[in-house]
Amino acid sequence: MASYTYTPTPDYGAKAGVLAYLVVSAVVLLLMMVFGLIMRLEHSQYTEIGGLWFYKLMTLHGAGMVGIVALAGAAIMWHFLRQYVELSTGIFIANLILFLTGVVMILASVLLGDFHAAWTFLHPLPSTSMGLWSEWAAAAFMGGLLVIGVGFVLLHLDIARAIITRYGGLGRGLGWPQLFGPDDGNAPPPAVVASTMVTIVNLVGLVVGASILIMMLINLYVPSFEVDPLLAKGMIYFFGHVFINAVIYMAVIAVYEILPRYTQRPWKANKVFLASWTASTFMVMFIFPHHLLMDYAYPKWFLIVGHIIGYLNTFPILIVTGYGAMMIVYRSGIRWDMCSRLLFVSLAGWAIGAMPAFIDGTITVNYVMHNTLWVPGHFHTYLLLGMVAMVFGFMYYLVKPSEHATDSAIDVAAFWGFVVGTMGFTLSFLYSGKMSVARRYAGHLPEWIPYDRIASFFAALLIASVLVFIFRFLAGLGLAGRDYQRASLARSLAT
Amino acid sequence: MLYLLLGTPWARHQLEASMTLHMLVQMPLLVIVGITACRLLPDCWRQRLLDGLGGAIPCVVVAMFVSSYWMLPRALDAALTEPLAEISKFITLPLLVGFLLALSWRRLTLIGRGFVWTNFFSMLAVLGWLYIVAPVRICNSYLVNDQQHAGWYMVILATLLFLWWLGTLLVGDGGGPRKPSIDTDRTPE
Repeated sequence: MASYTYTPTPDYGAKAGVLAYLVVSAVVLLLMMVFGLIMRLEHSQYTEIGGLWFYKLMTLHGAGMVGIVALAGAAIMWHFLRQYVELSTGIFIANLILFLTGVVMILASVLLGDFHAAWTFLHPLPSTSMGLWSEWAAAAFMGGLLVIGVGFVLLHLDIARAIITRYGGLGRGLGWPQLFGPDDGNAPPPAVVASTMVTIVNLVGLVVGASILIMMLINLYVPSFEVDPLLAKGMIYFFGHVFINAVIYMAVIAVYEILPRYTQRPWKANKVFLASWTASTFMVMFIFPHHLLMDYAYPKWFLIVGHIIGYLNTFPILIVTGYGAMMIVYRSGIRWDMCSRLLFVSLAGWAIGAMPAFIDGTITVNYVMHNTLWVPGHFHTYLLLGMVAMVFGFMYYLVKPSEHATDSAIDVAAFWGFVVGTMGFTLSFLYSGKMSVARRYAGHLPEWIPYDRIASFFAALLIASVLVFIFRFLAGLGLAGRDYQRASLARSLAT
Repeated sequence: MLYLLLGTPWARHQLEASMTLHMLVQMPLLVIVGITACRLLPDCWRQRLLDGLGGAIPCVVVAMFVSSYWMLPRALDAALTEPLAEISKFITLPLLVGFLLALSWRRLTLIGRGFVWTNFFSMLAVLGWLYIVAPVRICNSYLVNDQQHAGWYMVILATLLFLWWLGTLLVGDGGGPRKPSIDTDRTPE
């Protein structure tokens, strides 16, 4: 029987590459949030940007947010993973360069070429613009996504190489010898298990994504090579859903690595933990059909599988992580600071955000809820209060001046502003969904506007809080690269 | 032996009778001949040859270009109608694809190999799709339904190969964990 004791680990500062990722993430995240606020203001009829600009902003907001949270998640994963395996800095930087290249292509496509077919770029919309955008704009958008995808493929191949070199295979990276054999307590650390899972699912997702992008690019210039729209939708959602799911599995590594430093309790990679990650490795690739439940032309078994797996995959990692965090914190005398607060609340955000998806994954509910603001309510909760909170928690950790440093009143106010703003903003989405407010509409009916105005208010509060977070991070960048103890020891441990 | 067998009129007739056999059996077998030939060479020869050719990356690039050429319908037609093209297929696929890939494979890191594999899977699947949905008969020598069959087999093959590759990553080489090259209390550079 394995015994688990906490082994103190050195507290390394971030390398320049990680900081570059985080600075880019912070700036783009803020910009995308402002775009989101403008869209809600348009719904509220406080602005009049018109349909064209609304859909252009929606396209940028969607693609930008997916990309930027992936970049931020990759920074967290790389920072901690490299303490266990030998990663290539060159590949890490190459990914950032390819990412920025892709972003420029997407920006040019939308801002100069007027492309506004949403991040989902569902076939045949990109190639059937009816004169609203040109071929080159659609090609630049899809090409940009392709370039970003190539960067992430390289990053994940490097991670796979490093894990295989260190542990002997990705199965061992998932802790299979300990899962299926006797638990000798030598399972890989949670950061390695999570990175292995993300690498497997993202490699699959990215290969499928690259394939459909190439197919659609060919179709764009040679329309006689027809793409089956249903096949295209399935492939796009497979790639997109896997990719956006993976970001929280990258970011949760911050929780696994940082919270134990506060309470000096180990995060146990025991059989239950390993089983949940292995189960999710496979299930996360089969849950995307809950976005396709309204496409009756798909085989029924396919949709039923999506429904069942969607139910099953909601829980394993979430429960194991939530329960694990509570065990780490329970009666530990943890000293709450901005980092530990944000990391802890992120687990609540993850759990709360997963529930609307669980409900929407039910076929009968899906028929009436899926095209309403209920769905944005789900993923905004999940990402903002879950994943993005993890990113900000990590940023606060890196720039914490010392283990005894206390938070200013502005930071604490910003934390509560972030939580209240996010909850108000996302609950407005969810309630609008309940009231059948359609999503992806530039103009809203008069009856819907009160919800939009409430959402706009909370979105503004949220952005104001995020401004404080980002300012604090950028102001403290000089500390982020240094090696020193940051976590405040729990009261029961402090001498 | 395999090479000579593939070159016999009987084997050529059988394997070039359909697009599927031509593209997915005869050509891969020619590549395998090249791989086998390379593996029969002593290690030191392979090293010298690889160094002389400029390293792994030029070899992989040449192999990718040559294999791409032989995926073109026009190249297939030429191989069936022009003896020179047929001879060049029997030379280039073993020598410039199989041999060069095998020669460079050991030098490639897992990233390089992974890039080659993932590029191959997605391109094979996309090529298969092109063959399936092509609005015209793309080879003079094969019927439309033959090219569609070939396309489907390419998609299936790409999927199976991808799953196999992922499986090898999951299982690894069975050698278990290596001696760590870094440890956790090392200060990162």
